[in-house]
Amino acid sequence: MVLELRSIEKSFGEKRVLEGVSFRAEGGKAFGLLGRNGAGKTTSIRILMDVFPADGGEVLCDGAPIDYARVQLGYLPEERGMYPKKLIIDQLTYFAELKGMPRREAVRAVDKWLERLGMSEYRNKRLDTLSKGNQQKIQLVTALAHEPQIVILDEPFSGLDPVNAMLLKDIVREQISQGKIVLFSSHQMNYIEEFCDSIAILKDGRVVLDGDLHDIKRKYRRDRLAVHTEERERLLRDMAGRAEPMADGGVLLRLDAAEDKRAVMQRLTESYDIDGIQVFEPSLSDIFVEHAGDAGETEEQK
Amino acid sequence: MKQFWTVLSFELKSFLKNKVFVGMTLAMVLILAAVMFYPRISEALSRGEDEGAAPAGALMLVKNESGMAGVTEAFSAAFSGYEVRETREAEEVIRGQITSGEAECAFVITAPNAFTYYIGNLSMYDMNTEMARGVMQELYRLDAMVRAGISPQTAGEIASVQIESKTESLGKDQTQNYWYTYIMIFALYMVIMFYGQMVATGVAAEKSSRAMEMLVTSAKPLSMMLGKIVASCLAGFVQLAAIFGSAVLFYSVNKEYWGGGSIISSIFGMPPALLAYMLIFFLLGFMLYACMYGAAGSLASKPEDVSVLVMPITMLFVIGFVIVMPNMISGNVDNVLMRVCSFIPFTSSMAMFTRIAMSTVPWYEVAISVALLAAGTGLVGMLAAKIYRMGVLLYGTPPKLGALLKALRKA
Repeated sequence: MVLELRSIEKSFGEKRVLEGVSFRAEGGKAFGLLGRNGAGKTTSIRILMDVFPADGGEVLCDGAPIDYARVQLGYLPEERGMYPKKLIIDQLTYFAELKGMPRREAVRAVDKWLERLGMSEYRNKRLDTLSKGNQQKIQLVTALAHEPQIVILDEPFSGLDPVNAMLLKDIVREQISQGKIVLFSSHQMNYIEEFCDSIAILKDGRVVLDGDLHDIKRKYRRDRLAVHTEERERLLRDMAGRAEPMADGGVLLRLDAAEDKRAVMQRLTESYDIDGIQVFEPSLSDIFVEHAGDAGETEEQK
Repeated sequence: MKQFWTVLSFELKSFLKNKVFVGMTLAMVLILAAVMFYPRISEALSRGEDEGAAPAGALMLVKNESGMAGVTEAFSAAFSGYEVRETREAEEVIRGQITSGEAECAFVITAPNAFTYYIGNLSMYDMNTEMARGVMQELYRLDAMVRAGISPQTAGEIASVQIESKTESLGKDQTQNYWYTYIMIFALYMVIMFYGQMVATGVAAEKSSRAMEMLVTSAKPLSMMLGKIVASCLAGFVQLAAIFGSAVLFYSVNKEYWGGGSIISSIFGMPPALLAYMLIFFLLGFMLYACMYGAAGSLASKPEDVSVLVMPITMLFVIGFVIVMPNMISGNVDNVLMRVCSFIPFTSSMAMFTRIAMSTVPWYEVAISVALLAAGTGLVGMLAAKIYRMGVLLYGTPPKLGALLKALRKA
């Protein structure tokens, strides 16, 4: 299954929130939708979920306009919250029923997920008797119980302890392996980098960067080397002006041209006691700051 | 459509599981049971008392200085609840007897057309002066007629002549229908106010708890709004049915203790056709106001905002109530104001219902009123759905009216 947003436009009053937003997510892969606060992520998700229509553009599923009666979507909103005073089983069943599940099936699916998340003991408790982390796990059930083909998770890891984060990671991997489209929206770049094959970075309602994460990283000029050596200080001294220390204890070496790479590598291994040399690739955080940060615009124009 | 039923059953269940709702309904039923069983219980209790010594009537002293004959006898006959005793004591002695509690009250007849009434504490409901005036008037006329040469027997016949009368109401009998109209209008008012506000706070609570984030991505706003409204309408209806149903049941059990002609029996003698009208106006009126309350609730971000947002709606409704109530009490239900109000959808559920109940309204007027109300409810419902769709996603300060109208025109 391929989900595609094509040239989506949306304004609220005078304010243009989305300007020609396009991106593409495939089944069996995770997609990362990134952007700073107010960049248009939630609006894009709401249009994708048919909460309100776009002013222009289209949402396609396998090339045809998406049919919401057939394609099921699951959503974990960033703003968490359900009915605090109602029983957990009642409200989870309610949400699954709203998604079109028959009642009995909904109860069965909810029970299955509660067990999977280790929350079965809270089945007949009121939501507000649970801790925040546990409430979040309960809410995750609303996104998954009806077995959607597209799962949208907005900041799914925020507020989870490491054990629960691990549990959620397993579940996400499981969903991906089932061929579903998992759409992440998060500011925690390490999680995106861990799961997502492709990303789109939104800035001021426009996509400023999108595509396969691996390709994006490879597009950067390969004219920097990350060198790890016991003789760090000597290397920095010898290469003063083109070498700088890295946070992980390595040395970042800038070359005059990418083609010099082989020669430089050879010279380094001959002259120093080298632990490892590799072409430096920027992290997703670096890429994000570069494109979505305040300097992003000028970087883009270079 | 399936979503509508899902929302409806979820919301209705939360009403029926709500302890306040169940408690309030049960309390009302219990109060009604107490009221309806009261005559039976009080009769059973007083029967027990009757077996003891019968309490003697209070003492009433009558001093006759007028020279007319038969005064004491006439007072004895008129004040059967008292032990009437003639006295010749001085006024000071009579005052003393009353203040000491030996006598309850006293009449000193100073002339054929003048008397003084002595009483310890004058009750607000004391009718003795009125009765004494009647007795004295009759005595005076009899005395005058006898002195004019008419025989005492003929004079007595003239004075005590009874005029027979009969009333046949060809339309509605307001002495009979006033009370049930009053009760029904009041029930309509309470239910719309109470459940309307519940709809508004319910929507606002969903927004503030952010359950709305889940709802808007799971269901269509129209299903959400209508499901909620119809659920509260049904809940209100269940409550009314429980209350009125138990009242009818308790009344029929205790019917013989209530006797005929009382207010209670006039209430239960309500014609069934009126119940059908009540249902129509209740349903349409409720839907109309609940849609507005729902839209207002959707504009609030926190439950605290609700009271300000629903104020204009509540005011509109209260104005209708304030117009209808005095006209209903005065029985003047067909005046121009009431006629106009009975065609305006915002007031017609109360005004037209009152007119139907207490007067004779041509069928076409009823039909026009119901059609206008239904059309108005449809229009308001559509507008409310638009506001709702927009409102549920708005957070922060509720929009001003101008901004809201502008946004609506675009929507």
